[in-house]
Amino acid sequence: MTLRRLIIASVLGFTLPLSSGLLADDFPERALTLVVPWPAGGAYDLAARLMAEHAGTALSVPIVVQNVTGAAGSTGIRHVAESDPDGYTLGMMGTHAIAQSYMNPNATPLDELEALVFIGPEPAAFAVGSDTGITDIADYLQTLQESPGAIINGNDSPGGFSYIAASMLESQFDVTLTKIPYQGYAPTFSALLSGEVMSALLPIPLLADQHASGQLQILGVASDARHPFAPDVPTFKEQGYDFTAEDFFMLYLPQGVPNERRDTLESAFYTLLEDEAFQLAASEVGLVIAPQPREASSDYLTQRADEVYEILSSANLVDDALTR
Amino acid sequence: MLIDSFLTSLLATLASPWGLMLAVLGTLLGIVLGALPGVSSTMALAILLPLSFGMDPAFAILFLLCVFVASVYGGSISAILINIPGTPGAIVTQLDGHPLARAGRAKEALVYALIASSVGGVIGLALLVVTAPMLASIAMRFKSPEFTAIAVFGLVLLAYASPGSTVRGLLVGAVGLLCGMVGFDALTDVSRFTFDTRGLQGGIELVPLCVGLFGLAEVLRNLHGSHRATPEFDMQSTQLPLPNLRTIAGRWASMLRGSFIGAFVGAIPAAGSAIAVAIAYAQEMRFSRHPERFGHGAVEGVVGPEAANSSSIGGTLIPMMTLGVPGDAITAVLMGSLLIHGLRPGPMLFAENPGFVSSLYAGFFLALLLTLVIGLLLMRWLPWVLRIPSHTLLIGIALLCVVGAYAIRSSMADVYIMLFFGAVGYVLYLLSLPAAPLAFGLILGPLLEENLRRSLLLGRGSWEVFLHSPIAMGLFGLSLLAIILPLLAPLWVRLGNDIKRVRMH
Repeated sequence: MTLRRLIIASVLGFTLPLSSGLLADDFPERALTLVVPWPAGGAYDLAARLMAEHAGTALSVPIVVQNVTGAAGSTGIRHVAESDPDGYTLGMMGTHAIAQSYMNPNATPLDELEALVFIGPEPAAFAVGSDTGITDIADYLQTLQESPGAIINGNDSPGGFSYIAASMLESQFDVTLTKIPYQGYAPTFSALLSGEVMSALLPIPLLADQHASGQLQILGVASDARHPFAPDVPTFKEQGYDFTAEDFFMLYLPQGVPNERRDTLESAFYTLLEDEAFQLAASEVGLVIAPQPREASSDYLTQRADEVYEILSSANLVDDALTR
Repeated sequence: MLIDSFLTSLLATLASPWGLMLAVLGTLLGIVLGALPGVSSTMALAILLPLSFGMDPAFAILFLLCVFVASVYGGSISAILINIPGTPGAIVTQLDGHPLARAGRAKEALVYALIASSVGGVIGLALLVVTAPMLASIAMRFKSPEFTAIAVFGLVLLAYASPGSTVRGLLVGAVGLLCGMVGFDALTDVSRFTFDTRGLQGGIELVPLCVGLFGLAEVLRNLHGSHRATPEFDMQSTQLPLPNLRTIAGRWASMLRGSFIGAFVGAIPAAGSAIAVAIAYAQEMRFSRHPERFGHGAVEGVVGPEAANSSSIGGTLIPMMTLGVPGDAITAVLMGSLLIHGLRPGPMLFAENPGFVSSLYAGFFLALLLTLVIGLLLMRWLPWVLRIPSHTLLIGIALLCVVGAYAIRSSMADVYIMLFFGAVGYVLYLLSLPAAPLAFGLILGPLLEENLRRSLLLGRGSWEVFLHSPIAMGLFGLSLLAIILPLLAPLWVRLGNDIKRVRMH
């Protein structure tokens, strides 16, 4: 088995640079597969399908969205990392991939992935249920300082973005929440509406309607700028708190994709993301599109990885085998 | 407003050639598969489910509902013509349907079955449309303790209503619960029972389990059975002219009785269509002025149970749609397909996706309509389906099982899981244990575990959270009652007999 792998690897090693050099002009000549690690219907899936829909503006081939789900997103990431590095398979990831790479020894380490293009941030909004009687951030923090753990916060299971955002809130303001885990945003959101939990940090498009109708109240946007879906809600910074918590969408490749192909993909996707029609369609569903080239994306990933590692390690969630 | 959105989605489907084509295809496949002995509605759905992955969710559910509804009617074709029920729901149909066919009235029996099916289906749908939003609005207020209670109640009913003995059902259900724990812990994301393999980290998905359990295992079971000769029947008897509309309409009372029984029994989680048709048949016999004709070709004996069979579809969809608890194995498979499309059945579905709910209703209606139309148009040729040689069929089905399991999320792990549960299903059959509780356990287990643990977290470790919820307490009470009643019933009967005996002396 090992011998066979060795032979295959060496043969590939010799032929790949050659063939990719020859084929550089033809790439891509068939459909690209974009792997989404979450089931259809979520924000990741939505963003991927929007890109596939508008692929014609920047690419000569279609994009096929493939949902490879399971194990808190790590199955999909592994699927991409282990695919042929021929540039035809790429994936989409966010905070979950970083968290899993430190929490789950079976998950793909970040250095097996190569950042391609940063798509945009997904800022969290900090919302409280309308029957909590809390009306601003100061009020909320005061409640927590008087009796730590008094506020029941709904979030993902550890490793999910809304859990990490809640942990960031805790460490930023030196307070303790009672964190109750839910399986994803939709159940967390309904728990907030039903009053089972008192607060949650969730993406804004999910909360905007209920905020407008008064069923819940968004106290602040954990981002540098206000969100078009809730323009009346000030950011934390505007209210005098230096707190940001953003999830993000990023395209990545498995390690080892030939440089020319990587660059072709980078410029194609960058063009696609900058396209006016695409941006309009994205803003209609509440996605923030702020593309960044590969180098900047890669730096962003490193920086976020450090942040997330800090949070996980202070919560004792980093697996023993994966400590830095 | 409900009618409006219902009509809009119905028109939208009818206007789209792709949707209509899928619906016709689903109906054809459903009737054919349902008619084949050995292919139950559950199996038909399980093997065709993967075809729907690539479709838009509304079309996927339309396609599957067409398969479901049509296979329910298809089951009665083989029951009437060759005295083998195509689906479990048709077991009673053959009692009087086949004698009718032997008397040369096969076409009459088929038409009665088809019309009764359609009437029953529409009544089931109407009950679903009326009841579901009410139940969902109550369930909207459900929090973790209430969902815990619902899961407990579902598990108790599952044990209570499993075919065969309760202990057997519970045993298999417990294995299902264990299967539900494989993969990431819902609350802490710690991996469990994965034996440190990556394949099991994603947990055991409902769909590969169902495809294995209800698809592949059935293939194995059919292989195991001795070679069955291609059944012989009199093709001539299916060519006779139709009975006229008035005679059919004259059976309205039987149809209505059957429909209501079917819908109500179907709505009880884990009761399913086989129980509904048995009750409907018994009722028809009781109401008949000529009970002695039953078993020798009584038309009511076909009409009542067939109406119940179809209306139980609407019934079983009620707990699935409103609570996320499957009514039977078929709805368990349907649930799997909704989950694949990111739609979790339950009260939130009504709030978040009202458009999808009305397109489901519209799809259901269209399925009933198409089954009626296609059933009538093709009545002359449908019996030919029964001549398909079983070996060709079984190979095709086994192939579909493998392809389907892979298609879910492009993972070989799911194929292995499907093969494993195919083997498990076959072993269960050899041990004469029911297979459906395994799927129920897999659905209800994580629901129970997640909500129970979350309730305790919310109650900060105290079980008092349950005492503060009247709904949860009520459901626990009902569960207790469901456990105690069957235990007390024999005592009651014995007591009654004793009293009688004392009086006689």
